[in-house]
Amino acid sequence: MAALKLEEWLARFATDGRYRGNATSVKLIPAQEGAFAPYPEWVHPDLRAVLQRRGIDKLYSHQAHALELVRQGRDVVIVTPTASGKTLCYNLPVLQRILERPQTRALYLFPTKALANDQMHEVHGLIADLGCDIKTFTYDGDTPDDARQAIRRQGHVVVTNPDMLHAGILPHHTKWQKLFSNLAFVVVDELHVYRGVFGSHLTNVFRRLGRICRFYGSSPVFICCSATVANPKEHAENLLEREVELIDKSGAPRASKTFILYNPPVVNRELGIRQSALAPARAMATDLIENRIQTIVFATSRLNVEVLTKYLKDSFRERVPKGLGMVAGYRGGYLPNLRRQIEQGLRERSILGVVSTNALELGIDIGELEACIMAGYPGSIASTWQQAGRAGRRTGHSLAVLIARSNPMDQFVVEHPDFFFTRSPEHCRVNPDNLLILLHHVKSAAFELPFEDGERFGREDLVEILSYLEEKGVLHRVEGRWHWSAESYPADEVSLRTVNPENVVVVDTTETGNHRVIAEVDWDSAFTTVHDEAIYMVESRQYHVDKLDLDRKKAYVHEVDVDYYTDAMTYTNVRVLDEFGTMTRERVIVEHGEVQVVRKVVGYKKIKFYTGENVGYGDVNLPQKEMHTTSYWFTIPWHHLDTLGLGREEVIDGLAGLAYCLHHIAAMLVMADIRDLDRCIGDKSGQWFVRYGDDLRRITMAPEASVKVMENAFDPTVFIFDAYPGGIGFSELLFSKHDLMLSSAASLIGSCPCEHGCPMCVGPVLEVGPRAKDASLMILGLVGRP
Amino acid sequence: MSFRDRLERITGDTRGARPDTEVRPGIGELRKRIEEIMSRRGGAAHAQRPEVLRPRTTLEEAVGGEEVENSQGRFFSVQSVFGPSARHGHALIGELAELDGELAALLAAENSICGCSSGDALFIDTETTGLAGGTGTFPFLVGLGWFEGGAFVVRQLFASDFSEERAMLVHLEELATSRRFLISFNGKAFDMNLIGSRFILNRLEDRVTCMPHLDLLFPSRRLLGHRLVDARLATIERDVLGVRRTDDVPGNEIPSRYLAWLKRRDGACVSDVFAHNRLDVVSMASLLKHLSGLLASAHTQLRLCEGDVLAAGRLLRDRGLTREAMTLFTRAADSADRCVRREARVSLSLIHKRSGRWAEAARIWEALLDEDPLDVFAACELAKYLEHRVRDHRRAMGVISRVIHAGGEMKPHVRRDLEHRLKRLQEKAHAASQDDDREPDMLQGHSGP
Repeated sequence: MAALKLEEWLARFATDGRYRGNATSVKLIPAQEGAFAPYPEWVHPDLRAVLQRRGIDKLYSHQAHALELVRQGRDVVIVTPTASGKTLCYNLPVLQRILERPQTRALYLFPTKALANDQMHEVHGLIADLGCDIKTFTYDGDTPDDARQAIRRQGHVVVTNPDMLHAGILPHHTKWQKLFSNLAFVVVDELHVYRGVFGSHLTNVFRRLGRICRFYGSSPVFICCSATVANPKEHAENLLEREVELIDKSGAPRASKTFILYNPPVVNRELGIRQSALAPARAMATDLIENRIQTIVFATSRLNVEVLTKYLKDSFRERVPKGLGMVAGYRGGYLPNLRRQIEQGLRERSILGVVSTNALELGIDIGELEACIMAGYPGSIASTWQQAGRAGRRTGHSLAVLIARSNPMDQFVVEHPDFFFTRSPEHCRVNPDNLLILLHHVKSAAFELPFEDGERFGREDLVEILSYLEEKGVLHRVEGRWHWSAESYPADEVSLRTVNPENVVVVDTTETGNHRVIAEVDWDSAFTTVHDEAIYMVESRQYHVDKLDLDRKKAYVHEVDVDYYTDAMTYTNVRVLDEFGTMTRERVIVEHGEVQVVRKVVGYKKIKFYTGENVGYGDVNLPQKEMHTTSYWFTIPWHHLDTLGLGREEVIDGLAGLAYCLHHIAAMLVMADIRDLDRCIGDKSGQWFVRYGDDLRRITMAPEASVKVMENAFDPTVFIFDAYPGGIGFSELLFSKHDLMLSSAASLIGSCPCEHGCPMCVGPVLEVGPRAKDASLMILGLVGRP
Repeated sequence: MSFRDRLERITGDTRGARPDTEVRPGIGELRKRIEEIMSRRGGAAHAQRPEVLRPRTTLEEAVGGEEVENSQGRFFSVQSVFGPSARHGHALIGELAELDGELAALLAAENSICGCSSGDALFIDTETTGLAGGTGTFPFLVGLGWFEGGAFVVRQLFASDFSEERAMLVHLEELATSRRFLISFNGKAFDMNLIGSRFILNRLEDRVTCMPHLDLLFPSRRLLGHRLVDARLATIERDVLGVRRTDDVPGNEIPSRYLAWLKRRDGACVSDVFAHNRLDVVSMASLLKHLSGLLASAHTQLRLCEGDVLAAGRLLRDRGLTREAMTLFTRAADSADRCVRREARVSLSLIHKRSGRWAEAARIWEALLDEDPLDVFAACELAKYLEHRVRDHRRAMGVISRVIHAGGEMKPHVRRDLEHRLKRLQEKAHAASQDDDREPDMLQGHSGP
């Protein structure tokens, strides 16, 4: 049977019995014509010729606009879709200026090495065609020592990432005198990635960069590129702390796209459970790939990537000879070689299907994919459009399918297509004056150049911070300057991305005498993915973890072939450290402030492939992790809750259901990713908390004491906290919207058609109990305001 | 809540007591972690809580010296003079002053030093607040040394605070540029980078780091590395120069001494750093003398380590001074140490070979084979000589054959190589014999000449 083209496949989709009726929306996004502009006359004729030989006869309107502004010395942020020629907006002015003034230097910042390498090749290509002596280099952790000196002296364009800038370049700026004295451009790509903690760090790195540029007398122009978010100009101005011009009207022509919103059918009406999103994802992907339509599937977690990859490989193993290689998984944790191989396979079309986490959201060039399936809402409107944009980069009609999972956010989005298609994407938020972050960067900055009285750094009182550091013996003040006076090297102490920068290495011991490293896991994920007895999957091969050695940062595994995978169970406990604001109501106290969060992995579930059954449990003994952050919470004293006529356990069920609902509502309200927030029910003192036990019913439990002691000793509190150390600023916002959140919850739960509760409103009944829905509505009646 | 309170809350520092907060293990943990991180390189954490156990000494009392003032401000300077008859390890200071520019140039592989004499040299060694490098590393002490009328002067420039750095750098520059070259130990990689950085940070023109520079680390490794456990100055001092230090401050404690000085202004904090630095500078002068002596060892009767002489010979050979190298190789060829003896003779033989003195080279190879019939190198060279120069294939085959059958241990690829050679020689000999109409049976080797 001949392979179907995408358009044919879509035509068939409309009548296919498996899918019919479950698509809540099939939207055709029409093609868009291009808007063009000529090259400015100041463009060097050789440069223009090179570009024209590559088929770029004229510029898109947004490119011309960007060039003009940059030429005038204005900072810009370009927010146009993928494949709209954003890279030209920086490569052209940079090369042009180097041709005019050979001393010119530029710094390119990319969030990942892979992306940096991609873009480097592109620039190299242009330079090779130009045939002139312009040198570009990547400078990162992998750069060999003997190359580094040459790059420092001669590199016109230095390509690096924020981590290297922070720890490798700025603290050694005297070795980079040539670069900083002549720095004319700083290019920052994928600006939207720099949000939350990472973005807060980057703002501070830019503050330090600014100090150093001023020292050497340079004043570079910043050229930023961003994917579509709600507030690109504001975000850029927050990061750079300068005025930035926004360019967001794309002149690039765009092929048409079909966007399908899909809701798997309900399979258990009583419990309100729907078919897993992985099932239709698997079916559609298999179908498309069989027809040689190159498809990318995004899953919401690394675990789901592995599971889905396995399902797809299984399908092809049966149907197609040598079909195994047609599908690949792709995620962080795979070693770089493997990732490069997969990217190459995609470009060459030897790999027709790839399953990924959002790693591929970042613009690595993988060729023309025609279809994109999202198994689960990625958590934000912005991410959804970026993932959908992976299909159809260059030519031809493309397809994007969003398949909902059973949780309030996913359900809301697919059941309200108008909301989705008209909604502006999320805001990017940063909090560069988060004290912990600011402190580290003030130290780094002082190491680079002593602070002088009267200087400003951030919005906090710099003198207080400097005095604090002086007291700690880290700075020494003399004649109006604060000098670094410790032996250590401040950039070493903080990684820009996670709390702990170290990775755990996964070692395969299957072959005695030939142990191999097969993957790396970041510290935080290690606790949940490579604990003792876990099943760890790479490219859907299974490995059993024999021992996790935290001290040596190694996980020892051996290959197995079993019919289940594992999912870790974590408990969370929150303790209030300080209140910043309080609102007292009749029966509830609402507050926000600083908290300490303790998380501990305590066990794991064994889940059978395909059926999803729970086939066992195990215990895990790992140290707990602590984090200080900000939170919004409200407390309802027992004596009020007791008036509802419910048992204590049912009240807890109701609170759990309410917390589940509020977590999702909060994320939508502050336009954050669901993972930017977390929730917990406990007591302000942190003495007890709600934990999910072995039989999936919640039990109240104190870490040390027994249950019966605790029941009277606390007042239940629902916490919604920022999932980042130091907090990112959501809590105060949620605190101010408390009433709105409660009424939204009442409306969502109240109007949900399920009987006793479901993942769309209060959470899966098996987790929150059969009375959760009723109880939560009663509690809302108690404390909410009409 | 005050800013300080927020900071203390975030970092877990509960110095100020708050009424309703008691012991919180969680915060203690965080604080410990932060303190741990901050004192990871040692020293800084302890410097926070000074316990003054004894009355403070001033700098002058502790190390002598005086304040110096110049156009850029002031700093502290300590000067010591080592008279000609003072001893440093095995050497007399007076002897050190006889600096040979040509030898120094050879050691540095730097021709411009050739015409220099003792008065043109400036020894330099810095002490810093950290070893990791980076712009926050501060050279608080610059030790300089030079020869003056048979004596050796050490002047130590000390920045008693960060504000004195500028004046100190300017003074350093004046001293350096009044001389013609610098001598250091690991200075090319470390001290010069650091000083260059400091000049940039102070916006001063740098005419120091571009000066001709003899870094004694490299020649030390070359000449002495074969017999030392490492090439650190302390090791060389002890094992080669005969210098014994007592109560020397360990290098990794030096940064914290200065940081303690900054807080306590007690001269006793830094007095042993001055002593350590001073000895380093003098040891460099002694080391220079020793290394130069090795290069010139053809002309001395001194007892020297022949392995060093051998290494010196190689260095001279690499610099193109073949005749001088030969003299050293000849000397080393008499060594009691078998390895050294052999290596020296090998080197000699190769020089002869390259200069076309075949017979002399061959004599050496034969002698080597006499001493060790398994000397594959000698056998191959001799065989090649016999084959191409003398055209005596029979004897060449004999040589190779003897080695193969000498019954010793040999790596497989070496054996294969020799067998190939033998085969090739047999073929050649056979072809020659056919031409010459000689006896065909020549497979057995003959004994040598």
